[in-house]
Amino acid sequence: MWGALGPVGDMPCLLTLQMECEAERRPLGVFECQLCALTAPYSYVGQQPPGTKSVVGLGHSAHWHHFLPCSLLEESYVMRDPFTPDKDRFLILGSRCSSCGRLVCVGPECSLFYSKRFCLPCVRENIDAFPQEIQQDLEKRKVPSKRPASQPGSRT
Amino acid sequence: MPPPRTREGRGPRDRPPAPSQEEDPEKWDWNCPETRRLFEDAFFGDEDYIRQGSEECQKFWTFFERLQRFQNLKTTRKEEKDSRRPKHSIPALADLPRAYDPRYRINLSVLGPDTRRSRGLGRRLAPERVSEFRQALLHYLDFGQKQAFGRLAKLQRERMALPIAQYGDRILQTLKEHQVVVVAGDTGCGKSTQVPQYLLAAGFSHVACTQPRRIACISLAKRVGFESLSQYGSQVGYQIRFESTRSAATKIVFLTVGLLLRQIQREPRLPQYQVLIVDEVHERHLHNDFLLGILRRLLPQRPDLKVILMSATINISLFSSYFGSAPVVQVPGRLFPITVVYQPQEAEPTTSKSEKLDPRPFLRVLEAIDNKYPPEERGDLLVFLSGMAEISAVLEAAQTYASHTQRWAVLPLHSALSVADQDKVFDVAPPGVRKCILSTNIAETSVTIDGIRFVVDSGKVKEMSYDPQAKLQRLQEFWISQASAEQRKGRAGRTGPGVCFRLYAESDYDAFAPYPVPEIRRVALDALVLQMKGMSVGDPRTFPFIEPPPPTSLETAILYLRDQGALDSSEALTPIGSLLAQLPVDVVIGKMLILGSMFHLAEPVLTIAAALSVQSPFTRGAQSNPECVAARRPLESDQGDPFTLFNVFNTWVQVKSERSRNSRRWCRHRGIEEHRLYEMANLRRQFKELLEDHGLLARAQASKPGDSYSRLRQRRERQALYQLKRQHEEGQGRRRKVLRLQEDQDGCSSDEDRGGTASQGANDNVDIQDVKFKLRHNLEQLQAAASSAQALTRDQMALLKLVLGRGLYPQLAIPDPFNSGRKDSDQIFHTETKQGAVLHPTCIFANSPEVLHTQEQEARGSDGSRDDKDKMSSKHQLLTFVSLLETNKPYLVNCVRIPALQSLLLFSRSLDTNGDCCRLVADGWLELQLVDSESAVRLLAASLRLRAHWESALDQQLAHQARWRLEDKDDEETAPVNRKEVAALSRELLQFTASKVSYSLRRLTGLEIQNLYVGPQTITAAPSLPGLFGCSTPSPHPTKGGYAVTDFLTYSCLTSDADLYSDCLRTFWTCPHCDLHMPFTPLERIAHESTCPEAPQDGPPGAEEAAPEPLQKASALQRPYHCEACQKDFLFTPTEVLRHRRQHV
Repeated sequence: MWGALGPVGDMPCLLTLQMECEAERRPLGVFECQLCALTAPYSYVGQQPPGTKSVVGLGHSAHWHHFLPCSLLEESYVMRDPFTPDKDRFLILGSRCSSCGRLVCVGPECSLFYSKRFCLPCVRENIDAFPQEIQQDLEKRKVPSKRPASQPGSRT
Repeated sequence: MPPPRTREGRGPRDRPPAPSQEEDPEKWDWNCPETRRLFEDAFFGDEDYIRQGSEECQKFWTFFERLQRFQNLKTTRKEEKDSRRPKHSIPALADLPRAYDPRYRINLSVLGPDTRRSRGLGRRLAPERVSEFRQALLHYLDFGQKQAFGRLAKLQRERMALPIAQYGDRILQTLKEHQVVVVAGDTGCGKSTQVPQYLLAAGFSHVACTQPRRIACISLAKRVGFESLSQYGSQVGYQIRFESTRSAATKIVFLTVGLLLRQIQREPRLPQYQVLIVDEVHERHLHNDFLLGILRRLLPQRPDLKVILMSATINISLFSSYFGSAPVVQVPGRLFPITVVYQPQEAEPTTSKSEKLDPRPFLRVLEAIDNKYPPEERGDLLVFLSGMAEISAVLEAAQTYASHTQRWAVLPLHSALSVADQDKVFDVAPPGVRKCILSTNIAETSVTIDGIRFVVDSGKVKEMSYDPQAKLQRLQEFWISQASAEQRKGRAGRTGPGVCFRLYAESDYDAFAPYPVPEIRRVALDALVLQMKGMSVGDPRTFPFIEPPPPTSLETAILYLRDQGALDSSEALTPIGSLLAQLPVDVVIGKMLILGSMFHLAEPVLTIAAALSVQSPFTRGAQSNPECVAARRPLESDQGDPFTLFNVFNTWVQVKSERSRNSRRWCRHRGIEEHRLYEMANLRRQFKELLEDHGLLARAQASKPGDSYSRLRQRRERQALYQLKRQHEEGQGRRRKVLRLQEDQDGCSSDEDRGGTASQGANDNVDIQDVKFKLRHNLEQLQAAASSAQALTRDQMALLKLVLGRGLYPQLAIPDPFNSGRKDSDQIFHTETKQGAVLHPTCIFANSPEVLHTQEQEARGSDGSRDDKDKMSSKHQLLTFVSLLETNKPYLVNCVRIPALQSLLLFSRSLDTNGDCCRLVADGWLELQLVDSESAVRLLAASLRLRAHWESALDQQLAHQARWRLEDKDDEETAPVNRKEVAALSRELLQFTASKVSYSLRRLTGLEIQNLYVGPQTITAAPSLPGLFGCSTPSPHPTKGGYAVTDFLTYSCLTSDADLYSDCLRTFWTCPHCDLHMPFTPLERIAHESTCPEAPQDGPPGAEEAAPEPLQKASALQRPYHCEACQKDFLFTPTEVLRHRRQHV
């Protein structure tokens, strides 16, 4: 669906195309992280978000779309990347913790991915199940997270 | 590009199970372009996410290099770090990979290269290299995800940290329960950006948010779009005079108050909106106050409409109580403590009475800051000055100081700067250097600059005020109000504790008015009144304003509109008035546009109207630069300033259409602010669309280039322009630039060059304004208009001047009789209400005043002449001007010279004569003495006829327009007014203006004005001039005496010696046509001549002959009309129908 639009040769059509895409990408709902309360509208849940393709080199002739031959390793809540004009970029917001099922964002304060998504509370609870690198990483992360509540997280 | 953070690249490179068949690892070179090309061919095809040769592709390779370097460092580390953990009881944790690999931390997987394209790849690229590349790509994508998510999270944190964030729910809740809510919070609390988003999140989808300024609409739409994560969507849009990003998908639109009022004019119940946010109500702009009044009336009719008034914490109760004690949600500002230092200025031995501001007190503050605060302690300075002249005075001095100390970057900030130059105040000063921003009150509320620690408040503001008596605008300096002073102070405490230096005493502060004077109390109200009439809101005198305007201003405005012919004597809109009310332009400009389109002069009039509606494009300093002055000279027109502007614009368009030439440079050499010309082009286009929309101008059919080749070429060109624009937009706002110090030492002389280099930066070779211009306008059309303008004939020029003259009437000034003896710069002029007005130094008549001086060629009256003012000439001229502006002196702005007698005869609202018509008084203040009565009467008769003719043509034009609107615009009836008729009228008008009659011209003295008229007469001898001035029998004028011939002409009402004898001066005369032999006064003679039944039909230009023609034409427009109200049948033109209907209202 996302890339199924035929070749568009002329400028005026760009507008219609844009509008169609706009309509297609209407958000499905609002993603809310159960830990940090971050909210954002998502437009896709799954492992093959728009803008990606699971098979390489099918030779689409879709003029305005550029595909990423990749897929996600978890069922993710995804939105169109709001920070780029490129309509085919996506942004992964979060997914469910594979241990407790909580919906968490991908922010380093809330969860980590190690072959699966784990929320930090679950990681901390079962810290010994993780390799040493992860443990060290978590230790380090405790420092910035001790910031005052009004300014959670570190500056990027 | 920011470097990848270390965390992402952590850990040793993974070489998964495949045992490497190392083939010459030393020879492998990732940096080899050939190698890279191979991979790019395989992975970055045309349809791929990253395209070969794109910016993204370069970014990837940079990332790749960093990753490689990082991994080389790490590979020395011990690879195996086996940890034999027990298998976990929780299933999710049970099958975690044993050996740590950073790859496991990435939730993406990248597929291999496109097999279709990489047939040969397998042979040329070792699988492990391909895998390495894929891993890098994976890391790159993951990095991109982390970066974008980081931005998202940061955005949310910042939004949550705003003071208003705690009040979002309360605002929504209150809005649910009430129709009107007042949200009061000081700047920085986030109300303007957040409240629209709360509404969006709560599910509202038809939200309008008004802003007093266009700039705010754009920047808020951008910001809110960004914050609501629809930066590249169309949920959030703006709509301002020249552009709109609004679409069907738009849920929130930011628009100017003026535009919303226009929408209300079209659809009074505003059906398109659910919620209306009126921002900055405390600023008390004219339109805002009016909008509030409209809303108060509208709300009971639209119970489903919600209104949020947003205000600073100033006089909140006023707004709350105006809307029936609407609930107030007050949001505390986020302010740090601010120390106030009062530094009243002593009466210093200033540089005498020069009007320049003394910059020393300001420099002392700079010094004080330098002495007291170490440069490492950051914090910028914001100086509030009253106006642009004050800013440049301080700018000069502060820059000199800054070049000594190297510790300040001095920047001006006012609304006349281009947006790019305004944006410079947001740039960052290098370490050890503070910004010193010299600003008007624009930085008080509308522009918020972060990082300000020090504020200097001059306590002054320059504001336009309107003098209804003298009908002039005054730019005057005032003390600010306490509210403004607090607002200014607050600017120092937004990012940390601050200091505010007040250059006045505390006692001064206590004496300040609590609030600024609302605009409605200090400006001319004619545009407002016209708009109110157009919106049928009833009598402006009883309109429920939040604070009523002074009654005298209203009366003056109503009078002015009647003078201008927009209102009739019952204060109802005339046909031209109702058209003017629809045009969002000045009355004067609107009249010009209508008149111009009638005479087929639309193209030049459009340009002139646009030129007169923007600020002067001539830069201040250039007047003193002889090179600029010389370069400008060929553009000057000795007809007047509007024609000079006309030339400037047309020549600029020509320069633009010549590919090889750089219009920016062209402007700079001539001391012209190009930005203003872009504004003119935009405005011109808007005016044109207005005329087309209102059926006054035939819509230009899109010119289609003949062959497919040129079509293709044109499309290519446009695509290239779009590409440039997109690139520019993407390049914008990435990072704040760091100010360069040396820039500021150029001084303000090279202001323009600085603007160019500093704001354009890397994009210097792309003139984005030029790109936008070419995208927005049809350059070919413009160029065609410009080149036809250069070929304007003398006749067209004369007509154009008539159009301007009639449009600008009654804004007239008479040159002082002694001007020819004065220096060029000392020429003075008198208007009806203001004596001794002067010209702006850029005015053509200030530089070549001789074109206004009357040559005494026909010195017939010189025998008894005492001085210049009784000089007889056929070439007396008046100046008509666009505005009268008083700063230190009253200035006439944008003048055109026009022939005095002819213009007065054609335009005067009141013309009074004596018995033999040799003495005429126009509008009660200008006296014309003609040499002989015969030519006087001829001219007068001709002017009456022309005026009637012109009026009827205009009526037809308006009737056509009205019909065109009623009949749903499908009536594509060629031209609004018969071409032949207009041509005839033009010809006659030209003949009339060319007529040569000797006369003297002077301004009447006050005493003379008092004793001007004979007054009502008891004995009314019926005047014996049947047919002279039209068919109607003149009636005695009730106040002036004499006889009212038409609504503007009163015959024989002037007191004069000649009057006593005029009746006796009959001599015998025989009519050459009918042989009538009788004693006649000159007047009676002409009266007879013009009506003599035997007279030949193609009489002299003075004869009354063409009059029946327009009548016939007019009757063609007449249709039977049955009035329901008075139950009568009429034969009416559409205008007459409108007029008639209005009687019943």
